[in-house]
Amino acid sequence: MTERAEGGLLIVAALLTGAGTAVVTITNGEGVTIDAYVAGAAFLAAFGGIFFAIRTWAPKATHFLLPPVALIAAIGSIEVFRIDRDLGRLQRYWLLVAAAIAMVVLRLLHGRGVEILRRFRYIFLAAAIGLLLLPLLPSGLPLGGAAVNGSRLWVRLDLGERALSFQPGEAAKVLLVVFFASYLAERRRGLAEMPRSLGPIGLPEPRQLLPLLLAFGASFAVLIYQRDLGASILLFGMFAVLLYAATDRPAYLVAGGMLVAGGAAAARNIFSHVQTRVEAWLRPFDDFTGTGFQVAQGVFALSDAGLLGTGLGAGAPYLIPAAATDYIFVSVVEETGLAGGFAMLAAFGLLLAVGFGIALRAGDAFRSLLALGLTVTLALQTVLILGGVLRLLPLTGITLPFASYGGSSLLANLTIIVILARISHEERS
Amino acid sequence: MNPAMRRIAAVSLGAMGFLAVWLTFQQVTAGSTYSDDPRNVRALGDTDDDRRGIITTAEGIVVAEDVEGIRSYPEGTTYFHLVGYAAADFSTALESTRAGDLRSLDDGSITSWLITLFGGSVEPPEVRLTVVDRIQQVAARELEGLTGAIVAVEPATGAVLAYASSPAADPNDLVSGEITLEEHLKDRAALDRVAFRLLPSGSAFKVLVAAAALESGMTPETELEDSAEYLAPGAGQPIVNVSGGRCSGGNEISLSDALAVSCNTVFASIAVELGGAVINEIAERAGFNRVLPFELGAAVSSIPSAGDLSADEGALAQTGLGERDLRVTPLQMAVIAAGIGNGGMMMQPYVVDSVLTRDGSKLSGTSAKQLGRVMDGATAADLTAMMAAVVSGGTGRATARADVTVAGKTGTAEGSGGPHAWFIAFAPAEQPTIAIVVMIEGGGSGGSIAAPIAARVLDAWFQR
Repeated sequence: MTERAEGGLLIVAALLTGAGTAVVTITNGEGVTIDAYVAGAAFLAAFGGIFFAIRTWAPKATHFLLPPVALIAAIGSIEVFRIDRDLGRLQRYWLLVAAAIAMVVLRLLHGRGVEILRRFRYIFLAAAIGLLLLPLLPSGLPLGGAAVNGSRLWVRLDLGERALSFQPGEAAKVLLVVFFASYLAERRRGLAEMPRSLGPIGLPEPRQLLPLLLAFGASFAVLIYQRDLGASILLFGMFAVLLYAATDRPAYLVAGGMLVAGGAAAARNIFSHVQTRVEAWLRPFDDFTGTGFQVAQGVFALSDAGLLGTGLGAGAPYLIPAAATDYIFVSVVEETGLAGGFAMLAAFGLLLAVGFGIALRAGDAFRSLLALGLTVTLALQTVLILGGVLRLLPLTGITLPFASYGGSSLLANLTIIVILARISHEERS
Repeated sequence: MNPAMRRIAAVSLGAMGFLAVWLTFQQVTAGSTYSDDPRNVRALGDTDDDRRGIITTAEGIVVAEDVEGIRSYPEGTTYFHLVGYAAADFSTALESTRAGDLRSLDDGSITSWLITLFGGSVEPPEVRLTVVDRIQQVAARELEGLTGAIVAVEPATGAVLAYASSPAADPNDLVSGEITLEEHLKDRAALDRVAFRLLPSGSAFKVLVAAAALESGMTPETELEDSAEYLAPGAGQPIVNVSGGRCSGGNEISLSDALAVSCNTVFASIAVELGGAVINEIAERAGFNRVLPFELGAAVSSIPSAGDLSADEGALAQTGLGERDLRVTPLQMAVIAAGIGNGGMMMQPYVVDSVLTRDGSKLSGTSAKQLGRVMDGATAADLTAMMAAVVSGGTGRATARADVTVAGKTGTAEGSGGPHAWFIAFAPAEQPTIAIVVMIEGGGSGGSIAAPIAARVLDAWFQR
């Protein structure tokens, strides 16, 4: 694919955003409003900016990275606008801000390449831990924690009359991938050796196992203190997969899986909110007006979708609690049908394939593990939330990358994209 | 490192593919299961076409339709308790349970436009009943002026062939407002006597006592003591026969003959001999004390617990005759009669055969479901022969036919306003196509009142 084709696809995505927004207002009987133009223009500005930043500071990067992201973001932003006009307008600002920050990150990596990230890894680790702990600050201070739906994962920054809320966990996940990738790139030989044995099971030196247990402890702590099931599975899963990739030892995956299973079982018994979610997953209609309401409404939305959906603006996705965040995918499916759902899944598939391709071709272990970790983060997050809304897994409240409403998520995920672009550029240089 | 990364990539991309398959699966299951759920408010608002579909009998005769925007019921009272009615703010029976199926398929979407383009129909669908108009008409006519119920089912499947309860209201009057909902709810016509009227069954219950006797090792030929009175241990009043004397000429009577003439003293003593646990067990196997899964709902037929029956043998003796605290719906008796005719396997009763588009393609259908075995095949065969003797030479003679063998049992239950007349039957005995229950409240004796009515419904069924 050429530069022109990539740019062309981004323009198509911007036109889609504008046209989709127009369809929503037309269906509502308002005709084409200013929203359609603003949405298309903001989208074009954000993705055009990232496109030119990549062409300037990572010119040899693959052309396949940005178009699937643009498609997902276009469909997502139309649906967010359709569910809640105000959220849809806010999302445009978030997109512009996130794109600007992603461009700054790319510029910073321009001088020394992603190699520079390695040097600051302990700073990143400390920053990540600090960010994860932020929501535990008492609320009421100018900068304080806040709980939403029983999970304490938000931070509120009071700015006089207005308040800015963000989820520091989103940024922390990117910092942690950088830390783990650089840590594992150095230690992978030691971790891969299994000098000790326990019966037929080979074991590495105990001290080598420490990081695994530490990561598990940290994830579980996140779960306990912030009641955030999704983030904790995401963090631990990403670490276990990286450990497996770094060592080629499936035993780490098995051990990680067992820890997750054990931790999940324990969490189910200890925490009422986890238990509630499992119940709502398995039997949403038993407590229809209570805990099962959200999942049941999601099922109703799917029941109404069919092959082509109800049409943009013609369904009722706003009936689902958290339609614009957790349930964005189901909302898209309700109004654009199986066809729209497949389009999004295909875009995610393409994006992940490109990410894994970058990881496989990267020049050294650090770059490879970094690209892999970032891609796996996107993959895990996508599977967790889609599995949750489609009742394959218990629902965990995390965002669908690029599609859900939310500034923190958009910022973190666009940063992931520019880092991947940079690695892609370096590998071809 | 690379082999592991390749595997991770393969699993991740595989997961995306699996999610696509899973999404399809979820949409299909959600679409077929939950689109009609009454809690799904989406379903209410997604069609511009608010016409309701038609309801037709097994022969295709229309019993509910929209005529110029007004819901109409061409057959008047005949189908009232089965089809119900749909007014703006209230609906009953099938008009309520099938509200979703009767909704227009035109939801204004591209999909329905495409269906129309390719010659399909998005008109409001047709709900086709299992009920056969030919015998429904006879059943409703027979009940005119009486209080009671007639229900007929196909023994092999559980498909309901006739479903009539009297008195019945005219649904057209309820739609037009000539009868208000409040008036209707106070009226006796509001009660569906097929599924919700609980009465003692009288001697019709003896078929289950007879089955328990056969299971305990007796045969139809087993000779039992025939006496004019039977006094259960501890009971105050002795049980006597309808005739006042013995049931036969001698001192002994066979089990089969005792059923044929509905001999009270013999069945009371059998019930006491077998014990409360056995009587309770056969009744519970037949569906007593359990919710009968039925589209329109059904009252729970009941029998006292094994402990209560064993504690009072006087009551046990009377329960063996279908009296005292035993309560059963006509529908439950129909399920039992059909079960005996079906070799002991009871089938779940159902009233809707299928939902069809207006160009005749099937949207959904009901398939026969087994409810449970009430007795084994050998017991059912013996009992069928005994019930055939009831009709050929016993209390059920009114239903005897030249063309087919009818197996039946009469019942006359004590009631405050006169005895309730029952008749349960299935025919042809060897391979039944119909099982029927007639119940007339305060009507008189089962043999003289209910059986002749059943005979006329069977006439309508067998004159093909």
